[in-house]
Amino acid sequence: MCASKPLRPNPDSMTPLTPLRSVVLASLAIALGVAGKPCLGDEPQLFFEEHIRPILKAHCFDCHGATEELEGSLDLRQVRLMQAGGDSGPAIIRGDAETSLLLERVRSGEMPPGDTRISPEELDTLTQWVAAGAATKRPEAETIEPGLGITPEERAFWAFQPLVRPTLSDAAASECSPIDQLLALSSTAASTGDASAAGIPEPADRRTLVLRAFLTLTGLPPTYQDVLRWQADPRDDWLAHLTDELLASPHYGERWARHWLDVAGYADSEGATTADALRPWAWKYRDYVVRAFNDDLPFDRFIAEQLAGDELAGPQQGDWTDEQIRLLTATGFLRMAADGTGSGGDTPEGRNQTIADTVRIVGTSFLGLSVHCAQCHDHRYDPFLHTDYTALRAVFEPALDWQAWKTPSARLISLQTEAERAKAAEIEAEAQKVAAEKEQKQQAFIAEAVEMELAKFEEPLRAQLRAARDTAADARTAEQQALLKSHPSVNVTPGVLYQYLPKAAEELKAFDARIAEIRSTKPAESFVRGLVEPAGHAPETRLFHRGDHAQPKQVVSARPPLVVMPEDAVLTFAHDDSSLPTTGRRLALARWLASTDNPLTSRVIVNRIWMHHFGTGLVATPADFGTLGGRPSHPELLDWLAADFMEHGWSLKHLHRTIMQSAAWQQPRDGGPSHGLPTTLVRLDAEAIRDRMLAITGRLDATLYGPPLPVKEDDTGQTVVDGPQSRRSLYIQQRRSQPVAMLQAFDAPVMETNCEARPISTVATQSLILLNGSYILEQAAVVAERAEALAAAINTTAVPGIEAFTSLLSPTDLSPAAVVAAWRLAYTRDPTPSELAAIASFAREQLTTLRADPSKLVEGRSPPQQVLINICQVLLSSNEFLTIE
Amino acid sequence: MHDQPALAMAHNRRSFLREGSLGIGSLALAWLLQREQAAASPTKLPIAPPRVDLLPRTPHHPPQAKAMISLFMHGGPSHMDLTDPKPELTRLSGTEYPGDIAYSFVNEASKKLLGSRWSFAKHGQSGTEVSELLPGLAEIVDDVCLLRGMHTGANGHEVSIRYFHGGIPGVLGRPHLASWLLYGLGSETQDLPAYMVLTDPGGLPVDGVTNWSSGFMPPLYQGTVIRPTEPRILNLDPPPHLAGTPQRQNLDLLARLNELHAERFPGQSDLTSRIASYELAARMQTAARDALDISQETKATLAMYGIDEEPTREYGTRCLIARRLVERGVRFVQLFLNGQPWDNHASLPSALPAICKRTDKPAAALVKDLKQRGMLDETIVHWGGEIGRLPVTQNQGGPEKDGRDHNGQGFSIWLAGGGITPGMVYGATDEFGHRAVDGIVTPNDYQATLLHLFGLDVDQLIFPHAGRAEVATAGRSARVVSEILRRPPQA
Repeated sequence: MCASKPLRPNPDSMTPLTPLRSVVLASLAIALGVAGKPCLGDEPQLFFEEHIRPILKAHCFDCHGATEELEGSLDLRQVRLMQAGGDSGPAIIRGDAETSLLLERVRSGEMPPGDTRISPEELDTLTQWVAAGAATKRPEAETIEPGLGITPEERAFWAFQPLVRPTLSDAAASECSPIDQLLALSSTAASTGDASAAGIPEPADRRTLVLRAFLTLTGLPPTYQDVLRWQADPRDDWLAHLTDELLASPHYGERWARHWLDVAGYADSEGATTADALRPWAWKYRDYVVRAFNDDLPFDRFIAEQLAGDELAGPQQGDWTDEQIRLLTATGFLRMAADGTGSGGDTPEGRNQTIADTVRIVGTSFLGLSVHCAQCHDHRYDPFLHTDYTALRAVFEPALDWQAWKTPSARLISLQTEAERAKAAEIEAEAQKVAAEKEQKQQAFIAEAVEMELAKFEEPLRAQLRAARDTAADARTAEQQALLKSHPSVNVTPGVLYQYLPKAAEELKAFDARIAEIRSTKPAESFVRGLVEPAGHAPETRLFHRGDHAQPKQVVSARPPLVVMPEDAVLTFAHDDSSLPTTGRRLALARWLASTDNPLTSRVIVNRIWMHHFGTGLVATPADFGTLGGRPSHPELLDWLAADFMEHGWSLKHLHRTIMQSAAWQQPRDGGPSHGLPTTLVRLDAEAIRDRMLAITGRLDATLYGPPLPVKEDDTGQTVVDGPQSRRSLYIQQRRSQPVAMLQAFDAPVMETNCEARPISTVATQSLILLNGSYILEQAAVVAERAEALAAAINTTAVPGIEAFTSLLSPTDLSPAAVVAAWRLAYTRDPTPSELAAIASFAREQLTTLRADPSKLVEGRSPPQQVLINICQVLLSSNEFLTIE
Repeated sequence: MHDQPALAMAHNRRSFLREGSLGIGSLALAWLLQREQAAASPTKLPIAPPRVDLLPRTPHHPPQAKAMISLFMHGGPSHMDLTDPKPELTRLSGTEYPGDIAYSFVNEASKKLLGSRWSFAKHGQSGTEVSELLPGLAEIVDDVCLLRGMHTGANGHEVSIRYFHGGIPGVLGRPHLASWLLYGLGSETQDLPAYMVLTDPGGLPVDGVTNWSSGFMPPLYQGTVIRPTEPRILNLDPPPHLAGTPQRQNLDLLARLNELHAERFPGQSDLTSRIASYELAARMQTAARDALDISQETKATLAMYGIDEEPTREYGTRCLIARRLVERGVRFVQLFLNGQPWDNHASLPSALPAICKRTDKPAAALVKDLKQRGMLDETIVHWGGEIGRLPVTQNQGGPEKDGRDHNGQGFSIWLAGGGITPGMVYGATDEFGHRAVDGIVTPNDYQATLLHLFGLDVDQLIFPHAGRAEVATAGRSARVVSEILRRPPQA
């Protein structure tokens, strides 16, 4: 096969497309009769379209081609235009690198004026191309539309290609899963060309697989009994049954909701301003996501509900129905962006920033594109235009219109029913009755107090004062006013009544209590923090020059990005869908995202799911499938998974089953051969570490759903859970300005916008938390207590290495059964002889230390108890505990 | 190439439609191009997996520096008001700038030149001109090398910050320069993290925790944060019942169990990193306590750093802690400010003096202190932001509201110690301070120069990643700025 060799390798990591695809493409090209045309021959040859335009796009087009205002009248979008040149003459002279003005300006550093300098390598490429005659791959058009448009080279980028579903042979399918077939092909075809040469890796042992399945699917560990049960399962397809069982667990939804909430940018506070005001109802969206995963809501439907739940729900007719409430709750997705407009940041900038963040979340989560890089100008690297960005913003404009803005509190949707409203009014009437009673009583008391005061004065002053008081305030004569002023004690008002008649005040307070009690029986009003587009609001959207809302330019219609549509079948969303009270733009976007016309979304979703199983995605940058992102390590597999996912109704549970049936998923993660997949242990994420500790204490409160657990700062200034620690981490309040210290240390995101992929760090801060943190110290003590309680029922005689252990330590020093129990709790296995030996020598040494120095004992703990607690702490902070094997 | 009998391509509806009814022109072309791009991709380099440890290593050539303290000035200090006098700008203040300008805030852009309202004077034997806003710097000009021709080419903060830290403008996910130093040289201390970050009590700098990321390198090479208030290192102290021997025993047991575990999973760097990180945490408990205890310093030292007064108390304390860390063998310390206090788009007349007052005296004290202890020869001090500012006014709301927009075309930083020529000015901007015109230094040049001083050759310091040989400057053009070195490299 012939191909041009670039002089300069792409600086971004490029995983070569496998020869497999190339072969197929080549044969397709031959079939189409266009093979061998554009650029053949082994000598390096540079072409404008392929090698030069990307450089000019990154550095020059802003002023010389992207807009109709051309600096120095110079347009660099075509070679013929470069030859024609601008005010200073031709920009290039073919074959003459010495005097070509473009090169001269770049060499002198004069150009480009802003932004990055052109690198020497890029300058080399430009120079060689001009010197070689400034070749183009194709004849250039005589006329050119305004703007940069999208070139065939850019369209050829892998991510924008239609899905190609490889058909697998039936014979092979019977022996190994589709995933394994595709992996084997892509890794062996390169070296041997023979797919059958690839062996199917042996699966890891059952205990490992049970642990892996539990932790991956539910984020919680199995118990020792779970492991025994599945180890003893006689069925060949025991893992499929386990998978089904775990997918049916409500904890599956909790676990996978957490992954999605990262992408959605979930937070329980508004962010954006230093106030970081709380979002009291955001949690309902969190619960919606948990339910959606547990119900295996088809993902295309999940997309539509989150983007356009209000349009699906239709208008309120009477009370909101349960289904309408569910759909409105789903739109919480579009209300996750930081939003300071209700807490001191209600400016045009603040509003537009919230919209921009929302568009960014949509772009990274569903399209896998850094669309936000085109907020101010055409994307410098990807074929995503400023107008594409604006077209996407136009989708959201009717609901998120910065010129007709609603602050967060104004967007709350009340769920109060008619009946509840009537009931509340009825109760309020009751309360008003009591209030009237109180008022009457108060007036009587005031009159009484006034009489008491008047009695202190002699006539005629008394009569004059009475007359003045009885006269309405605005009818009093000047003398009367002066008289009252000089005798303030007769001015009895409700506020000072208690000073005259202390008992009256008590009596009146009792009325207040009664009123409060009556009002407390009103049905509680709850809200949804969603997005509802007002009916009949179809604003135009204008492109913002350089992203500045104060410089609106041309009107842009809502539509998908150009590069993901066939050139001759460009789709535009209706400005205002007449069949709906709303514009229908978001619904149209959702439908397009989930259509087979869009190759991005299904790839992006399956890649994310894959990433959460293996630690790394088939594309390593889950939110950037663009030029600066990674290339798919196994493109056929990615496409097959995406196609299979759609064919099976966008079912995530089906996708999990498919992945987990593969030998690739089941193989040991010990660095063995893996067809190019990483086979390293995956560290548990922050929530799973905390939850796993909680689970083995036996104190996990498995309650699902509800308002978040509040957090507080402890006396060192660390944010911790305020109150009992017993619920899953998912339910801890996520305030942007107050990340929980332990979760943050293990890389839980602090949501600035959203979290596209968590980093996995290993730093001393984590070690210090696991050595000295109050949370782990508490959990270790509980695990030790539990191990002791379980010890009675454990027969240790069959555990290898126990004899050596008991020969070193008496059971009163350290119960071997308690050690075994601790191992079963933490690791779901028995200790090995080497581990028992390590424990024995540790315990002997530490018992001596503690017995010699009672100051090292916490009150009420014996040395053996403390030793067991310390062993449990060590288990909880060990690598085996912190990783998924 | 072989045929693949096991596979045949099936197309989904979209591709079928495209071929079937929409014609083959653009589609066939796109696919053909993709095939070429695939064939043109670089082949995988046969490079062994990287080593992961902090053992001291021999550099490529004799080093002139062992440690570095970077005082990072987020936001873009206004060089024409601080370090780069521009009489022509002052003379023409209020008139229109004749050239082209790239703005960040176009809505408030103007071309009206804004001369500095502060006066400059020559200082020291070198006679380096410095603004009245920086009396501290004025005292140490004979020890520093002022670079006036810095250039990132990009006006954005994050773009230029990432360029300085990671080597490519705007690109995240690359190791900080300090990570490269650790990777190349290991650590002098086994008791403290070799790369420490001192954050500001007011909050994180712009770009947050990515300012000390180790990118694609293992987390062992990432910066460890010392908090701005006590407890400066969270969870540093064990509870009383574990302090001392019992915790040591626990750690030994943990190490043994992790070792047995690692035998089953050989060659996994995350596992070995965690084992190392526990050992480090244990040693940190005593070493860090000692390093952070500035009560051991004399009154005179505290006064020199301004720790006895406002508004220098806080920054002075951190500068002093930085010295104490370097004294104990820490390789790289970086101080950050909250947000970006040098980003003076408005109210330059009040905002700029305020941030100078907070930082100038402590920064100068650090250089003086290192010098008097004989440490300056082996310790590089860096002061500077990611960009500078424009010579024209922004925000024309009256003189008190005058500000300046971003400028990555030309700005100043200074370096001192560790083989840098003292008392020198290198590079220049044009008469307005807009563009670097002479002695231009990019962040890549800066990285190559610093690595050189540490005895490392930027092109030889290779980290294998994803099948490619990564270097600190990402293969971009980078030159050792030999003009500013006491002992320039032999050609």
